[in-house]
Amino acid sequence: MEERTRAYLRGRFRDHYRRTEITPPPAANEREWGFIPWTDSPGTTMVRHRSLLELGDLSEFLVRKRPRHVYFSAGRFRDPGASSMGEKDWQSADLVFDLDADHLPGVTLGEDTYAEMLATCKDALFRLLDFLENDFAFEDVEVVFSGGRGYHVHIRDENVRHLEREHRREIVDYVRGIGLDFDELIETETVAGLGRRTPTERRHLRIDGGWGKRIHEQFMAFVDELLDLENEAALERLQAFDGIGEGKAEATLNAARNNREELEAGNVTVHTAVAQLAERFASRAVERDNAPIDEPVTTDTNRLIRLPGSLHGGSGLETLRLDRDEIDDFEPLSDAVPETFRGQEIAVDVTDGGEVELGGDIFTVSEGDQSLPEYVGVFLMARGRAEKEKE
Amino acid sequence: MQRLHARYPFLEAARETVATEAVDLATVVEREEAVVDRATQRVITALEDGDTGEPHRDHRVELLSYPVARVLVSMVGENVLVRKYARAEAATAYDRFIEDIEDTTELKSVETAGLDLEALFAEFDLREAIHGPVDGEYRIDVGTYLPLAADLWDDEWRLVNQPLERGEVPVDEGELLALLREGIRERIEDGLPFDVPETIAADLEAEAAEIREVLADLDLTREIDTVVPDLFPPCMKALLDQIQKGEHLPHHSRFAITAFLASIGMTTDEIVDLYRVNSSFGEEMTRYQTDHIRGDTSPTEYSPPSCATMQSYGDCVNKDDLCERIPHPMAYYEERIDDAEDEELEDWREGEADEAESAGD
Ligand code: SF4
Repeated sequence: MEERTRAYLRGRFRDHYRRTEITPPPAANEREWGFIPWTDSPGTTMVRHRSLLELGDLSEFLVRKRPRHVYFSAGRFRDPGASSMGEKDWQSADLVFDLDADHLPGVTLGEDTYAEMLATCKDALFRLLDFLENDFAFEDVEVVFSGGRGYHVHIRDENVRHLEREHRREIVDYVRGIGLDFDELIETETVAGLGRRTPTERRHLRIDGGWGKRIHEQFMAFVDELLDLENEAALERLQAFDGIGEGKAEATLNAARNNREELEAGNVTVHTAVAQLAERFASRAVERDNAPIDEPVTTDTNRLIRLPGSLHGGSGLETLRLDRDEIDDFEPLSDAVPETFRGQEIAVDVTDGGEVELGGDIFTVSEGDQSLPEYVGVFLMARGRAEKEKE
Repeated sequence: MQRLHARYPFLEAARETVATEAVDLATVVEREEAVVDRATQRVITALEDGDTGEPHRDHRVELLSYPVARVLVSMVGENVLVRKYARAEAATAYDRFIEDIEDTTELKSVETAGLDLEALFAEFDLREAIHGPVDGEYRIDVGTYLPLAADLWDDEWRLVNQPLERGEVPVDEGELLALLREGIRERIEDGLPFDVPETIAADLEAEAAEIREVLADLDLTREIDTVVPDLFPPCMKALLDQIQKGEHLPHHSRFAITAFLASIGMTTDEIVDLYRVNSSFGEEMTRYQTDHIRGDTSPTEYSPPSCATMQSYGDCVNKDDLCERIPHPMAYYEERIDDAEDEELEDWREGEADEAESAGD
């Protein structure tokens, strides 16, 4: 990036911060702050270990420093400005989740467009929120569009802020379905035998929550599909499963027909074939429902996270807090375009052209000098695909 | 009260009693042989039998022996002792409150000197976090559950296998008691070992020496402080092999092997040395990561991932028979070490030391 490009972006970021009110995170003065300035070195040098006290008033700081990126820590500390983690004296940390298009299954890098990646990411966000809102019933949930390739979720419920790395890893594994063991979801109950019958064991899938519930839902959906089919076709569907032959297929179909209620109640021991089949749905449930979050972000209790309301120096888009009911209709590539960069054109020299979807339009940008809407120009410059044209 | 405190000396109220009764621990240590004897027995039985032994019939002696036992554990200062001791104290407390709970239900008496669940909840500030029971099932807030279950390795405790719903994990009474035992263990471990004032330490040298001897005889330190790469679980062997060949490993793999090595007692320097077989590795990075994992540069000490996690990252390779029976690579290694004859174990570090010496000749 050439100096004149950097100077331009610096100036325009400042303009943006002048006209934007930024709401800091709660307990802002207990957090560590960091930022990356606009410098010409190829590597990025982060200035960190700053307390808000050192930075001064946040808005004023942003106007003064107009950083390329700005972050605050998930952790809260007694002395956030100390230079080592030990001296900072960790007190607690928000629980943070990061969904990044770079890490998502279902995203083909280099093939999917930016918009497609973000759409895939939003699907994953809804899966994640299902866990956070229902399984975990978190109440203080803040969803943020990162301004780059994904979404962040900040949880600030009192009763999880004390959790350490190890404990957070359990939460990561939960939402990703890692370590799920079907046998552990089964509850065994001894049922007294009737008359001369010996007591038997009843094995129940726990369907009152967690992955057991998800597996069961999928399994029952499959059972109901079976029941809608003709005999032949149903048996065929069943035998398509590895290890399920004619006998097991028939037994399963019988169980589905005669014992649907038992199955509905989670009783998977009506027949061994049924138990085997149900187990298959564990991996299917994980595949369908898991939220592929980026583990290190969640487990690192000292992590720095991008500040909502700030500009992302790699895209020129705004890092945006989203209300829960806004998420559905949220279009990152137009809703996150800052007002500051709208309504005027600028002259840029594009070095790496192509299609750019932004602000609700698709631009086919050729290489060379040209005039473009400012937000497209800023986006290309921030990505290193254009330079500011010489005046 | 005395009896209750003697039975459960880790209770907050018991600590207060001690503070008022024995104004000065130094005087107790100096003058009250019975207390010191019982304290020593507490620690030694903890090591040998995994509980704290027969209580002294005098409640006061029994109660005072607990803080003195903590002093002894601190003087010896070995991590393995702290762990074994805390586990034994917690196991004893657990047996006792199971007894108490049964008594209470049998006698339906309110005047029992025992501890009931309510009192334990209050003690550990759990009243808000535990709900029920309904049909014999309690529900515990997930934020409370996770730290309590953290050291229970069995897969059944893993959150992913829990029917978590509305932020609560259901547990039956047996599971709840096991979680409370963990809470007790943690409280006992908390703050151990501490710095013992000279005046007190001087009077307890003989007892501390006796404990050190028992510890040495049991050779418990070996359990977690022996480096025999041949006995590593297959996954760790494979990872180490790749590092030594200079291959680049993804973050989670590097984390797994480094956390494993740190957990079996290797220092950062030793890990750097072990990785160094091939010279092209990033020493600086290794140091940084290792210090981090060991908790030197971060508030937490990280433990290596479980088999389930290793599997999901594709790091579980070449599984063998023992792998089928264990939930965790650490469990694998501990079992292998336990099975091996002492003479067979040559610590990798000793080999290194020999080499270093001969090189110095
Ligand atoms: S089963 Fe566990 S110990 Fe064995 S190779 Fe796999 S991860 Fe390692």
